[in-house]
Amino acid sequence: MILRFAALAAGLLGVAAGALLVGGTEISPAAIWNALLHPNSGEIATIVWQLRLPRIVIGAFVGASLAIAGALLQGLLRNPLVDPYLTGVSAGAAVAIVLSISAGVASAAVPALGFAAGLATAITVAALARRGASLDATRLILAGVSLSSLFAAIIALVLTRVQGAGSAPAIVSWLAGTLSGRSWGDLLFAAPYAFLGAILALLSAPALNALRLGDVRAAAVGVDVGRAQWTILASSSLLAASAVTLSGTVGFVGLIVPHVARRMVGSDARYVLAASALLGAGLTIVADALSRTLLAPAEIPIGVLLAFIGVPAFLYLYLRDRRTAAA
Amino acid sequence: MIAVRDLELRVEEKPLLTSMSFDIGGGEFVGILGRNGAGKTTLLRALAGLRPADGGNIAVHSRGIATFSPAERSRAIAFVTSDDVFTDRLTVREVIAAGRYPHHRWWQWTPEPHDAQAIAGALEAVELENFADREFVTLSSGERQRVWIALAIAQEAPLLFLDEPTSHLDLRAAQHVLKLLRQQVNAGKTVVCVLHDPNEAAAYADRAMLLAGGGILAFEDKERALTPALLEQAYGLKMESVTGASGTRRIFPSAT
Repeated sequence: MILRFAALAAGLLGVAAGALLVGGTEISPAAIWNALLHPNSGEIATIVWQLRLPRIVIGAFVGASLAIAGALLQGLLRNPLVDPYLTGVSAGAAVAIVLSISAGVASAAVPALGFAAGLATAITVAALARRGASLDATRLILAGVSLSSLFAAIIALVLTRVQGAGSAPAIVSWLAGTLSGRSWGDLLFAAPYAFLGAILALLSAPALNALRLGDVRAAAVGVDVGRAQWTILASSSLLAASAVTLSGTVGFVGLIVPHVARRMVGSDARYVLAASALLGAGLTIVADALSRTLLAPAEIPIGVLLAFIGVPAFLYLYLRDRRTAAA
Repeated sequence: MIAVRDLELRVEEKPLLTSMSFDIGGGEFVGILGRNGAGKTTLLRALAGLRPADGGNIAVHSRGIATFSPAERSRAIAFVTSDDVFTDRLTVREVIAAGRYPHHRWWQWTPEPHDAQAIAGALEAVELENFADREFVTLSSGERQRVWIALAIAQEAPLLFLDEPTSHLDLRAAQHVLKLLRQQVNAGKTVVCVLHDPNEAAAYADRAMLLAGGGILAFEDKERALTPALLEQAYGLKMESVTGASGTRRIFPSAT
């Protein structure tokens, strides 16, 4: 197990180093190394420190947050089809951000509005799914899906109104998911919330392990099922809202990465959460590097790219496995 | 050990069981019998503190069950249900390890030194030592039932509550499970078990509780509770009994 995690961590460092080499200006590895060591040494250092590095770190941050949030919710609901946006976080954030961009709100305020609206939506969904001290899984899914549809309709309405207006490209790029134009400041805004979410996720791991046996058995071995559900929901909402604030709606990572993590390290929540974080970070860095280079100088939205590469790869893995199992 | 006074349990606002008062002592094997819907499972869950009482009191070791924290409760009471609900490919050992949860802090990641010993002891108690690393999903119904019991044993709680541990099992597997439970009683545990077959209760339990008509029809030593007359009342079926060569009485519904 230690070897597997060492391999995952090494892989993550590897793709991060590789991604540093990718960009509009060609810079040699030696120059990058030099710039890393001397942050104020000129133009190359500025490119490395202000453009490439924040993008890689933010990509890792977004990927890890979404993957942990997905693993948490899939474990809580014992449903492999759940993704971190189930609680309405992304739809709520999207509505707020789309409305504020189209209304011309100062761009510095937009992420905070999105974050607040995302969390508010998650709280509403949780309140609708509440039954006594605990949560009803079916109601949670129903409430999340229906609020998300309502918000999607509002977004569609706004998009038809702003067509051709100056704000349209910003809205579309945000909806498709992108890491372009994000800075250290954006990361500093989101990081404390995600950090809190990650701590709650780690604390929930033992309860998640017991919940694998069902709610009744978990309660029978002493899990405070209500508290575990609320902790996990709060954690995944904080993580997903932080990620959405930085990158827009990046799909796929939160749905698929936990599956791959489980294949690699088994279903123990402690390992799944850690492996999901490493894999999600690595995958997002790779996808972002590709999104910058494949059609350079144009950028492919990272959400689109992840779906184009990830979905077929994932289906291939699953179908191959099924065939092996049948043989 | 358990003292129940004026207990009332409702399902969707309708009274299911009312004015139940009884005691269960340490080291007893109690079988609960009754028709489907008589309230056996609901009563068992309430006794285990997994659902609140709608009236009256349940005390375990002279302390109200509602005042236990979840972990305290699970160190006192282990509850075994047989519904299979999970899809993860857990090994037998991983399943049983869940029984150690109440002995840890709720956020604790690492096992305690005693955990491995408790899990090994539980595997041995249900005779599954060689199955520890098998995947749970590959086991037969009887073996799965023994895993659930091992999970409860690993909890090291003095009270063991089981909801229909012999349903879906063949005769041999059912006898094996009941024998293991009897061994737990002989080792000092208290076992309260919902059963469907009065003959299983007659063979392994000390006392039997018959539930009917929203309350206790009888809660007596098994010889006095498991009579054709009381069982007829409990199940609304004509019963007959035969005494076998070994002298044990067997009770069956009449074929008519």
